[in-house]
Amino acid sequence: MARRKPVNYRHQAEQEYEKLREQRRNRFRILACVDGTEESLMSVRFAAKIGWGKECDIIIAFVRPVDQGLRSGGLQVGIARQNMLDWGLDLPGVRYLKDSLEVLREEGQSPEDWAAKSAHQDTWGDPLGDNKVEYVHESGKTIVLKMKTAPDVASGILDQYELGPYNLMILGEPSRWRGEFKSVFDVGVVQKVSTLSPCSVLVARKSLNKTGFFLCTDGTERCEDAVRRAAVLARYMKQPITLFSVAKERQNKQRAEANIEHASNVLKEMKIRVNNTKIGIGDTVEQIIKHGSNHAVIVVNDSGKSRLKRAVSGSVAFSVMRNAKNSVLNVR
Amino acid sequence: MNANIITDSLQANEYASDWSVRFRRVGYQRMLVMRSQVNLYYFWEKRWFFLAMAIGALLISIDGPPNLSHEGYIVLVMSVVATILFITEPIPLPTVALLIIVGQVLLLDLDSTTVAKTLMTDSVLFIMGSLMLAVAVVKQQLDKRIAWYIVQMTGTKTVSICFGITVVSGILASFVGEHTVAAMMLPVGITLITLTSDNPKRVRNLAAVLLFSICYGCSVAGIGTPSGGARNAIMVGYWKEFFYDPASPETHQYLMDYWKWMTYAYPLFLVQLPFVTLILFLTFKPEYKDLSRGVAKLRTQILMQGPLRPSAWLSIVFFMLILSGWITMSSEWGMGTVAVLGAAAFLIAGLVRWEEINSGVNWGVVLLYAAAISLGVEMKVTGAAEWIAESFLALLSPIGIDSGVGLWAAVSVLTTSVTNTMSNGAAVAVLGPIVLKVAVVAGENPIVVGFITAVSSAFAYLTVVGTPACTIVYSSGYLKTTDFLKVGWRMAIVSTALLLVVASTYWPLLEG
Repeated sequence: MARRKPVNYRHQAEQEYEKLREQRRNRFRILACVDGTEESLMSVRFAAKIGWGKECDIIIAFVRPVDQGLRSGGLQVGIARQNMLDWGLDLPGVRYLKDSLEVLREEGQSPEDWAAKSAHQDTWGDPLGDNKVEYVHESGKTIVLKMKTAPDVASGILDQYELGPYNLMILGEPSRWRGEFKSVFDVGVVQKVSTLSPCSVLVARKSLNKTGFFLCTDGTERCEDAVRRAAVLARYMKQPITLFSVAKERQNKQRAEANIEHASNVLKEMKIRVNNTKIGIGDTVEQIIKHGSNHAVIVVNDSGKSRLKRAVSGSVAFSVMRNAKNSVLNVR
Repeated sequence: MNANIITDSLQANEYASDWSVRFRRVGYQRMLVMRSQVNLYYFWEKRWFFLAMAIGALLISIDGPPNLSHEGYIVLVMSVVATILFITEPIPLPTVALLIIVGQVLLLDLDSTTVAKTLMTDSVLFIMGSLMLAVAVVKQQLDKRIAWYIVQMTGTKTVSICFGITVVSGILASFVGEHTVAAMMLPVGITLITLTSDNPKRVRNLAAVLLFSICYGCSVAGIGTPSGGARNAIMVGYWKEFFYDPASPETHQYLMDYWKWMTYAYPLFLVQLPFVTLILFLTFKPEYKDLSRGVAKLRTQILMQGPLRPSAWLSIVFFMLILSGWITMSSEWGMGTVAVLGAAAFLIAGLVRWEEINSGVNWGVVLLYAAAISLGVEMKVTGAAEWIAESFLALLSPIGIDSGVGLWAAVSVLTTSVTNTMSNGAAVAVLGPIVLKVAVVAGENPIVVGFITAVSSAFAYLTVVGTPACTIVYSSGYLKTTDFLKVGWRMAIVSTALLLVVASTYWPLLEG
């Protein structure tokens, strides 16, 4: 009797996982990260505005760092958390996710009536582990509330990207964003995620009372690509588009005009209307921030520079993300 | 809008059709795959570890100071590397303990059994037993009763409740450890906040005064008795290791028992209590002056619980016995033995399960403290502590603070600075050998200087990681890191001033 070929479960699991990723690639997936602050809830508001359609999935994540026993004197913080649960109190992450759900409701998305399923996964040896509630609409649209455990918040967010590819990551306004040199020693969560994220990142600030996407171009192929993709997003959100280019000196103005004309033509071919065009003269970062300040979102293009190159020559995209007062989308 | 267009909008590689673009894209993707497999980011994440190791290797390769032995220099380098790792935490902290053990065997050429023996002292046993007791006590769910007794005593005024919470948290924390009481009282604070208002924005300052009353109440109390925190046990261990000689009766004063510690430190804790509430109310102005709504709901919850269970009464009896054991028997049996006996009693009576203790105690921390104490003892044996002490005093002497109150203030400021960057237990473990040698070289009483270090290590009010109580209360999510800075500096100044006053007026009476 011939022996049956052993089942390769690992291969099967990999295939299933790849199939799931493939399905997810066909959807517009947004990862909004919250940490309980008012600023981080702005990321949920943006996620609701961008992901209003049925082809968009919204994943709201709260990342809790793994307990560090030394800091709590050798007594695990989990004991305190368990005590809170015994009192019928919500853990902080649960509270923040509930707040996020409230924001979604305010923005017209109420997933409570959708089919819901929850899942738990042990991770990092932490009894609380990863927990999620997944709401699935009959159209296939999904909203997920996820409480994740990771060694640190930034690595948890980046790890979440690995679990399922995302098109866009939205983070709240950072409390600190250091220069390239200082960030070697100490770097904030938003800055770290923005630097390392494989997908586009939107730093959400309180700018939803303004309208319009402010698309910056310098005429390069990368910028043209970013303009094209951000313009689709703007049109999807029914937002007017402003094209912008900077000339370092007045005599270079013609080149900036040519950049804008080229970008306009690209969008015209895509049948996307450009509502306004602007040209700034002077320092690129200053001009973008100045002219883009009355728009909902400034769109910049990630130059793909390494940390070393950024430290030496700077990065327009990162400087704008750091210094702008309104939301900035860094397209990758 | 076509669904595919929005899906493609921010995806990098879906629409290009030109063969050259495709070719380049594939190349780029392969490069990304290769880069992810090499995982250079690992080295970036662990940069502080590699940097610390490089500094260590560099320092060991050069000659040390002429008036310091080779072994002393190596211990000094190991301490520098350990301190960098304590502060930057690039690797799990118990790993630092393992490296200290390995370093002692390989770099100092010590016998591994000798090193292993130095890891388990009465202080380490005491830390281990206290942590097990902490889990056992929290599991008894006495917190609601305690909360109810507080509001029965204080009434419903916010200021009275906060003072009551500070006093009760403090008194309990002084005996059962600050982390235990912070874990027990945290739900009390949050319940009072949430029962007063569902909207956290409306109770922002109220949350701050209530939660800081818990954590600062616990922090100022953690110095009251040796069981208040691991740092106290570490200092008790250092006094014994550094100065006690069984053959010399005059060195018996360095055997610090439970009661003797209390006579020095407990009054200082009591003096600090009213200042906690005063500073909190001057810093944060709570939105509600009266918490009758929250208290009424809390009362309903207590009534629903019914009378105190026999197991809870038994736990209270056990703890009173352990406490009396610490006070009366610790000089004979050692505090560690009493603590471990207490933990065993809780387990035998079935008041707590071993699994609960096993998951509630971070055993890596016990190992870390053990290794840090072992390194501290090596600092003394090799002369490294004495060399640092002499260098430290040489720095202080030009400004005239190399003795008396000036030196105490310098030691206190140094400890407060260090403890705000790392856990207070680690701070005492690192600084203990140095300050005790400073006391010897400067002709000061090592007991006084040791107390100043142990007490100052509780002044980590400025950061979340400074004291266990702060870390636990911060985990509630109601406080911001900036809140700690806002109120912490006032607390640190007042506590330092009170410490110096007590050290110069009350402690000399005890020495006499």
